[in-house]
Amino acid sequence: MFSSNPFTLLSQSVPPLVMQIYAILMMLAVALGTLFDLYHKRSWEFFSLRRKRAEAAAQRQLAGWQIASLAARTIGKEVLTSGEFCKWQRQASHLLIMYGFVIYVVTTVLMLFVYPRAARTPSPVTALWNIGALMVLAGGLWFFFALKVNVAHEKQSPFRLIRADLFVGSLLASVAFGLLWHLVQTAHKVGAASLFLLACYILFTTLLFVSVPWSKFAHMFYKPVAAFQKRREEASGASDLPAPAKTSNIIR
Amino acid sequence: MPTFVDMMRCDGCGECVEICPSDIMHIDRTYRRAYNIEPNFCWECYSCVKACPQHAIDVRGYADFAPMGHKVRVLREKEKGSVSWKIKYRDGRVKEFTFPIRTTPWGSIKGPGEYEAPDPKGLSSPLLAHEPTALKVAALPTLASVKD
Repeated sequence: MFSSNPFTLLSQSVPPLVMQIYAILMMLAVALGTLFDLYHKRSWEFFSLRRKRAEAAAQRQLAGWQIASLAARTIGKEVLTSGEFCKWQRQASHLLIMYGFVIYVVTTVLMLFVYPRAARTPSPVTALWNIGALMVLAGGLWFFFALKVNVAHEKQSPFRLIRADLFVGSLLASVAFGLLWHLVQTAHKVGAASLFLLACYILFTTLLFVSVPWSKFAHMFYKPVAAFQKRREEASGASDLPAPAKTSNIIR
Repeated sequence: MPTFVDMMRCDGCGECVEICPSDIMHIDRTYRRAYNIEPNFCWECYSCVKACPQHAIDVRGYADFAPMGHKVRVLREKEKGSVSWKIKYRDGRVKEFTFPIRTTPWGSIKGPGEYEAPDPKGLSSPLLAHEPTALKVAALPTLASVKD
């Protein structure tokens, strides 16, 4: 299972071009969904207004190298290590989902566009596809059953689904059915169970990418921008938070 | 002046839900972010404002008597044992204050559950729990020792 390309076997019944068109349509759905989200929720207007207010309230102008340094620190902390989370469990879960999803998407694109009919797909690619999906499942299920705030703090059932579950729910269902389909297809070639699992995989994958305007999918674009803006406001003196205390009161 | 949550900053960690003594900080059922379900019942204790690690909770007056954009922002620094306030008055003045809140490291105080269970025989003793060790004395005077 870890050494086979799930899309190579599928290419015997579905032309690779159809799979590639589907993948491009999903990428377009994410781009259009994010743009619609920006327009419909007026997020762009909100960010622009906040930026103008911050510029007006700035007590000092930042040099180019200072802005570049802030961007580098945002990438280093908020983007690459999910450092904005205050609890290590949520940070670890988010890192598993984030890196798992990136690995899963990159390897899917490689398998679809580079090795759709290849006699042998490089085993690191196929292995990483499985590992990425398992990382998403591990982080996602941990979050879904133990870390969701309404489950952890309000003692609600994890199965009480709300709109905020649309992203994580469709992502989990997509990778879970993808893995199951790959497992069944590897063991039994094409059969009824394999076709059913493939249909579920396509259904939830489509839901994941088409539901961008209603889910929190676009947070992967917004969050880094918001984190950078927050750092910039703090550095320019425009933040509405008090300045940090100059001395420590802790006696050690 | 009840609290309200800036949903762009809230990451849904639940700290305010845990700490609110009035149990009015809850989780929104659509976006899974915190919000004040009943501002009229807010005690204005600022517990949630100080506890929020994302500084997502602000305090504002009702629009009918405080319509001119005042602001109260809080920064609690556990590692320094201090809490700082930035007050923006309605006439535009801004003042900042910093106060010590503790002198011992955060998390260093033992909770009641971390002590050993008291001996049931202690019920017949005139001493209170953890006396005399918590008072840092060897022994407390008793009636018998006073008579002697």
